[in-house]
Amino acid sequence: MKQLVFFFVFFLIVCISTTYAEKTGDPIPIGIGVAQTSNVALFGQEQIIGAKIAEKLFNATGVNGTKIRLVYQDTGGDEAGTINAFQNLINQEKVVAIVGPTLSQQAFSADPIANRLKVPVIAPSNTAKGILHIGEYIGRVSAPVSRVAPNAIKQALKQDSKIKRVAVLYAQNDAYSVSETGTFQEAVKSHNLMLVSLQKFMTTDTDFTTQATAVLSANVDMVIISGLAADGGNLVKQLRQLGFKGTIVGGNGFNTANVFPVCGKSCDGILVAQAYSPEANNPTNKAFVAEYHNLYKKDPPQFSAQAYTAVQVIAEALRKVESVKKKKITQLELQVVREELNKAIRTGSYITPLGEISLDRTGEINQKMFYVSRIKMDAAGKVGNFVIMK
Amino acid sequence: MEDFLQNNGFLLVTLTQQALLAISLYYPLMTGQLSVASPGFYAVGGYIAAIMGTIDFFAPWRAVLGWAIFPLEWLIAGLVSAVLAVLVGIPALRLRGIYLALATIAFVEILRVLCLNMEITGGAIGIFGVPQMFENRWSYIWVFGPLLIIMLLFTWRLEQTRVGRAFKAVREDEMAADCMGVNPTYFKVMAFVIGAVLAGVVGAMSAPFLNTWNARQGTFDASIAYLAYVLIGGSRSMWGPVMGAILLAALPEILRPLKDARLIINGLVLIIASIYLPQGIVGALQRLRIFMIRRVSSMSGGS
Amino acid sequence: MQEDNFPCQDIMTAVDFLQNFLNGISIGSVYAIFALGYTLVFSILGIINFAHSAVFTLGAYLTYSLAVGQFGISGILAGFRIPFQLSFPISLLIGAVLSGITGVLVERCAFRPLRARDADSLMALVSSLGVALVAVNVIQYLAGSEIYSFPADVYGDIRPAIMFHVAGKVVVIRTVQVIIFAVSMVILAILVYLINFTRIGKALRAVAENTSTSSLLGINVDRFILYTFFLSGFLGGIAGSLVGTSFGIAGPYFGVTYGLKGLAVIVLGGMGSVPGTVFGGLIIGLTEAFVPSDYSAYKEAVAFAFLLIVLLVRPQGLLGQSQIHKV
Repeated sequence: MKQLVFFFVFFLIVCISTTYAEKTGDPIPIGIGVAQTSNVALFGQEQIIGAKIAEKLFNATGVNGTKIRLVYQDTGGDEAGTINAFQNLINQEKVVAIVGPTLSQQAFSADPIANRLKVPVIAPSNTAKGILHIGEYIGRVSAPVSRVAPNAIKQALKQDSKIKRVAVLYAQNDAYSVSETGTFQEAVKSHNLMLVSLQKFMTTDTDFTTQATAVLSANVDMVIISGLAADGGNLVKQLRQLGFKGTIVGGNGFNTANVFPVCGKSCDGILVAQAYSPEANNPTNKAFVAEYHNLYKKDPPQFSAQAYTAVQVIAEALRKVESVKKKKITQLELQVVREELNKAIRTGSYITPLGEISLDRTGEINQKMFYVSRIKMDAAGKVGNFVIMK
Repeated sequence: MEDFLQNNGFLLVTLTQQALLAISLYYPLMTGQLSVASPGFYAVGGYIAAIMGTIDFFAPWRAVLGWAIFPLEWLIAGLVSAVLAVLVGIPALRLRGIYLALATIAFVEILRVLCLNMEITGGAIGIFGVPQMFENRWSYIWVFGPLLIIMLLFTWRLEQTRVGRAFKAVREDEMAADCMGVNPTYFKVMAFVIGAVLAGVVGAMSAPFLNTWNARQGTFDASIAYLAYVLIGGSRSMWGPVMGAILLAALPEILRPLKDARLIINGLVLIIASIYLPQGIVGALQRLRIFMIRRVSSMSGGS
Repeated sequence: MQEDNFPCQDIMTAVDFLQNFLNGISIGSVYAIFALGYTLVFSILGIINFAHSAVFTLGAYLTYSLAVGQFGISGILAGFRIPFQLSFPISLLIGAVLSGITGVLVERCAFRPLRARDADSLMALVSSLGVALVAVNVIQYLAGSEIYSFPADVYGDIRPAIMFHVAGKVVVIRTVQVIIFAVSMVILAILVYLINFTRIGKALRAVAENTSTSSLLGINVDRFILYTFFLSGFLGGIAGSLVGTSFGIAGPYFGVTYGLKGLAVIVLGGMGSVPGTVFGGLIIGLTEAFVPSDYSAYKEAVAFAFLLIVLLVRPQGLLGQSQIHKV
């Protein structure tokens, strides 16, 4: 049929072709697959800033002279977008490794693809349980939720030992929040506190009246929230407006200054467990913080520090690959670089803004220092700070 | 060639898949019914495949059947969709016009919320790690491609048979058709069921393709997208939905460099096409063809 | 003994009931205030104007930029701020007027050309959908997708929540929700008066009934349709801004969820019936609030279950009349 022919021609015209290369590019491309659009972009933005600073500081010497080049692909806020971004980075941009994605939820769907194609992925902010089980090419520099989250509860009890009745709320459509709430609930039990109310919500919710009034009627002393910045912040605002006076502990989703415009004055006093402190005393962190102050006149947030660390680990591991192979990266085949890089990442230790860290065989991070911060808002409720508690 | 497929295979397969989903919407439209229920059946089909592929209950089946479990998933997805379509279709298809559209929107949303909350569907997080049919993405063209060709041939033949003519009759004027002995409800439900089964089977094929499946696959946004394909392409012939799907699904990819603006352009396309191209692109091309033929014959012929 | 607990249990349940009732009214009035603009257009033109969600969103953003103004970190207008800040009521008014004008623009671009051609009403649907897509994405392009909140003192120095003490327990409702409820009642009253007791209202009802006959009778149909769209946009703008003060503006798509639930509201209430719309919104809100918290995830399906049931059982809704009088 004539129409069939026309149809197929039309079909093919619509596709794009591309060029291809076999060796590793120069400068060496490293993929950044984080959320640049959608509401998750609030975290992604901070990650991009951290990565950019890492690129700049590292390229002063580069990989024995060869520079690295960060390639950005927007994952958006959903799984399909992440898969597309990763595929683009791997197949079209030919990166040696990927830093990302922003959410654990996205990682569960996109990481298996990178793993199958033997491309190393370093997650700067995936802390859910099971991320590393995805495969041997997946690693992370964000300490697992089971190590970080309970610290906040300890701090809360230190502040107020009379806390007895607890409510736990979590976003049920986010893999990370579901994982984090499990850890929180276990911690509640281990401290012998009473879990009197367990409420669920969705990250897309804006009206939390039902959950908030349920919490209030249960007469709790402390509320623990696992969600993302937009929903979590909104929930806190509504809780405070409805008259909740107790302690609020926020999960990793609260670990960003982007929560301040959402809850304003109501953010004041929220306790958040953190994996990073701008005051950490090591040369890498000092340089990182100085550069960040230079550009933005304030302290760097955790997400930026973790993204910086991810890029740093990859870059330093590239140096190790060169010394092992005794050849320049740009003269090695791409697939060889990817495989060697994955091995090199898991050797030795790194002095990063997060302190001295290393990645073990499974890709898990070994980190020593953790902190708990308390959000402090100014009188107008506009400017906020994470104040590290001792 | 290998690299071309490697890089664009995903796009090609997606275009084929979207064309199939557009056709699934076209079927009810053949009987004059605007139903946006396809995403619901698509989601159900996908869940069936994802569940059969991942949960322990089916592990012995997977071990025994090997690759043959995939066609089995399609079969079951098709059957379940058919049953669901009959159950939903018979009461709903008594409604006309906008009311039917709303009912199908409600159906899709209810289904979505149910899937969001059941244990077996992985709740709001969905199901990850659905086993793959093939090593790489573009090989799926061997699954979607033949299905598309089969559907096109099937639809073409159908339009020439009694059933096809009955569809047209119902579309033109339901009451008149009824008077002439064509039972409108019977044919409307039939069209609805065919569309549903197609969407379900495509869903079952798509779950392995996309690797993860969750309630976000069957949403109102998807309904809107499929509707746009059909309307832009033209709702009078089967080529319309196919063209529309290819165009609108490829547009965001080709325009990827424009990133943020791509959805704006999609929206503009919707507005312009609905105002200036009421018969869709296929209709416009047909009019152009007729116009050209007239011009040629008036130039070569006489007065 | 069990008997001793009984009176306390009753009171507790009554308090919970009261709390749920208040919650239901709060969210119900949000649905109602959104759907009021929706239902105006449906009654006159018989089409669902999907762009209403976009106008709702736009109104919120406009009021925000006039009253507070500081845009966030993504989007073209990152960090931008209008050099003067207006008080909230003035910003609300200006935002609503601009939304009304947007409503008129929507009519001009998306509906008028189709009316002129007497096209299938399906096309108008798609057209308005296209407009909504474009508008929402333009907003995203300009202002990014982050959440914007109004400051806590946007209504002045009032307490954030109103508390009732009932039998030793406290029942609360946020003040902003009370404001939304009050405003929706006022709008309802004004609309009912306008439609049923004024000349303009009579003309609108005539146009709704039959556009060609009305124009034969000397009514300038085009002009009245314009008024309707302006009013619809104006109401949408107010609704968006008020809801924005309550829940924050959760990104450019925040009108879209209301858009879908709004469909259920207008069908339940009876398409074209203004009191019915408010009624429908409150009923859906109340039902959602009473869903037991174990099943809270099914709340989303409540509105659509209503929609489906009403369509199958009584398509004209509660207060609508079957296709005869539409306004």
